[in-house]
Amino acid sequence: MKAIHYINQFFGQVGGEDAADSRPIFHDAPIGCSMMLNGMMPDVEVTNTIVCGDNYITNHTEEALAEIFAWLDGRDFDIFFAGPAFMAGRYGVGCGLVCKAVAARYNVPVISSMNEENPGVEEYKADCLIFRGGRKATFMKADLTLMAKYAEKLAKGEKLLSAAEEGYFPRGIRSEIPAPGGVMAADRVIDMLLKKLNGEPFQTELVIPKTDRIPPAEAVKDLSKCTIALVSTSGVVPSDNPDRIQSASAQKWGKYNISGMDSLPAGEYKTIHAGFDPEAMCAVPDRGIPLDAMRVYEKEGKFAKLYDYYYVTVGTGTTQNYAAKFGKEIAAELKQAKVDAVVLTAT
Amino acid sequence: MRLEIGSFKVKDIVFGGETACRGGVLTVNAEEALRVVREDRHITEAELKIVRPGDMVRLCPVKDSVEFRCKVNGGEGAYPGVTSPLGQAGMGRTHVIDGATLLTVGRHWGGFQDGLIDMGGHYQHYTIWGDMPNLVLVADTDELDEQREQQKRNHAIRWAGLRLAEHIAQCIRDLEPDTLDVYELPPLDARGEEVKKLPGVVYVLQPQTQMEALGYNTLVYGWDGNRMLPTFMHPNEFLDGCLVSGSFMPSSSKISTYEFSTNPMIKRLYAQHGKTINFLGVILSTLNPKMEEKVRCVQMAGQIAVAVGAKGAVVAEEGYGNPDVDYTAMLVELERLGIKTIGISDEATGRDGASQPLVSMNPATDALVSTGNVSQFYELPAMEVIGELEALARDGNSGGWEGCINPDGSCVMENNGMFCANHISGYSRRSCADF
Amino acid sequence: MAKEIERAGFPVVVMCNLIDVAKTVGSNRIVPTVSVPYPLGDPTLSKDEEWTLRYHRVGVALDSLAKDIEAPEVFKVNI
Repeated sequence: MKAIHYINQFFGQVGGEDAADSRPIFHDAPIGCSMMLNGMMPDVEVTNTIVCGDNYITNHTEEALAEIFAWLDGRDFDIFFAGPAFMAGRYGVGCGLVCKAVAARYNVPVISSMNEENPGVEEYKADCLIFRGGRKATFMKADLTLMAKYAEKLAKGEKLLSAAEEGYFPRGIRSEIPAPGGVMAADRVIDMLLKKLNGEPFQTELVIPKTDRIPPAEAVKDLSKCTIALVSTSGVVPSDNPDRIQSASAQKWGKYNISGMDSLPAGEYKTIHAGFDPEAMCAVPDRGIPLDAMRVYEKEGKFAKLYDYYYVTVGTGTTQNYAAKFGKEIAAELKQAKVDAVVLTAT
Repeated sequence: MRLEIGSFKVKDIVFGGETACRGGVLTVNAEEALRVVREDRHITEAELKIVRPGDMVRLCPVKDSVEFRCKVNGGEGAYPGVTSPLGQAGMGRTHVIDGATLLTVGRHWGGFQDGLIDMGGHYQHYTIWGDMPNLVLVADTDELDEQREQQKRNHAIRWAGLRLAEHIAQCIRDLEPDTLDVYELPPLDARGEEVKKLPGVVYVLQPQTQMEALGYNTLVYGWDGNRMLPTFMHPNEFLDGCLVSGSFMPSSSKISTYEFSTNPMIKRLYAQHGKTINFLGVILSTLNPKMEEKVRCVQMAGQIAVAVGAKGAVVAEEGYGNPDVDYTAMLVELERLGIKTIGISDEATGRDGASQPLVSMNPATDALVSTGNVSQFYELPAMEVIGELEALARDGNSGGWEGCINPDGSCVMENNGMFCANHISGYSRRSCADF
Repeated sequence: MAKEIERAGFPVVVMCNLIDVAKTVGSNRIVPTVSVPYPLGDPTLSKDEEWTLRYHRVGVALDSLAKDIEAPEVFKVNI
């Protein structure tokens, strides 16, 4: 079987964040991590590597896909790989949207790998096989191994097991299986019952997903009487980063006084965000936290008052647990400050 | 209440001059047996066959499965209130033939609720019947009013099966069984302190009782389950024939009469009694079409569970689809009352596997055992057929459709139509997983 | 983060680039931004054009806070 492998500008050795806008490059042979992937599969040959910038694929999706399709059309391949994308959000989303489009157009199996906290998982797990991956590139070999193993099974026509056994994120499909160990249902019930009665961990056979959607909060009645707060994950902080917020995988947030200010001057404020090229935002910090526009609306009377502090952290690599913790802590402060509503800028 | 069940182990069934059970072989005098079947003048045609594990034989349309059992003393008969006078089940001694069953199959006509069994091939182990010899009663009836109806009461054939199984079991009535199991649970307040210290557990059974018309639902001492409210019962009553399987609901989600009387879930709970749990008893509830009925039953069953001091409960739902609402509601209500629940039933994930597996889902139901998937697509090779395979396609079988049978006799179907295959009684050795 | 703030009862408008990602993490009021490195601006535009863009999108965001919604909604921007 033949396979084509999609990777981003970083793993494709084009460059880092500065090359994130690079357009697709098509290699006639596997390069970089594609070579490692190729070496893992005796029955599958990786014939080509496609390299594309994360910003280009996510911001110019139509153009990027058109270029990729133009190159793929008429090419002979049986499997399509993308990633692994680890925790890199835009890379993950890029892998997901390319895989989804390739599966729809060429009807071939599409295989990727991401860390569970990569937003690409939630968005694309139904459309492609996304294997459970590590948080960073040190997991490259392990993540590629899972992808390769599955592709080998496809090539050999071997029996494909459940998502949990193969190691990919469930696609929302359920199917009958022989009970593990051939254990009778009544015995499985007793086992689960005794564990549950004794407060021990147990595994249900049908996970009922928690419906963790927050119903939309009620709209404000009269905007002109409201106090509104700015919250952001853009990493824009005073230039000396007084709270030492981490550039990635942040474990804290900061709040900074903006009373009496009409904008965030360059030089006095900057972004410490490590997930993108900071130049544009450092040049005009209001591009990340639009204090200037908010202040004008406040003066025009569209809303009553901009809260005296803005809250900020760094979005990249921040775990859901930390994000939830930050949200709770900030909400508690906003409540005390009698804020009515929030504008949150995310990156 | 104390019940002795004497078991006679058999490995084979043969026809012979005298109905007898010797040396692990059940011998059946077919002529005598058919005379019992024909006691009902509505039976117009009847014959007996024997099928064994591995036989490349397909049974269709299967109506019910019954254990060969008879009452030795302490009761009125194998199925009190149905084929015997009403009497208390669960006491005295009952003799059973262990390792074989009686299957009743329509000679021609099937329906929504009837099923298919393969004795050999890939699907042999999908039902418990593929693992044991079965005596097969193939019969036709003059119940013309329902012959072309999708929903059938199947009264004549089902009752013939009950009578025949009890008749054959008369041959073991006065013999010494190979093993004797004693099922004894004293009244709740008469249990020892050591037992009372263990967490009390109830088995909440929701048998299929959704048909508003009578004659289709699970019978409780002969009473139509649709006309009852949740009640507290002794486990022995179930092991002694208080329930007779109904004739409604897609076949794979049904519980046969054989399974109701050999209920592995009740036996497992019994085995844990006094060791890890205090098995309090069974709350027999119902499944109903109307929302108010569902709510009423859940509320009453919950109250009973609290009143008897349950700390844990196993809830079994005989069916899927609309009854999932009753199932989930029961689990949620018991959890709300502080009772730790386990649910056992099957799923319906749709042809693409992507449908919501239960019609009603609630995150409070965090411990579910899955016994199969009614939507699973099966491809069956051609095989010798006992009955009439066309019933799968023609008569509105829940797992078949017009055109599902190929000219060469092979066919395709959904799990739905495989006879009691999801074994919600607890016999299932299948589950479902995410892919 | 937005989810927890909303859970506390505040209407929150999330201004972000990867619209679908924001949706999947449970945001309800969503206003699209320009890109990740410069959500509310664009270095390729003139200062005036860039100001018009930022002013417009922040305005859409503010208006969304006063609009009652039943389900997640992505608010349309014109610039």
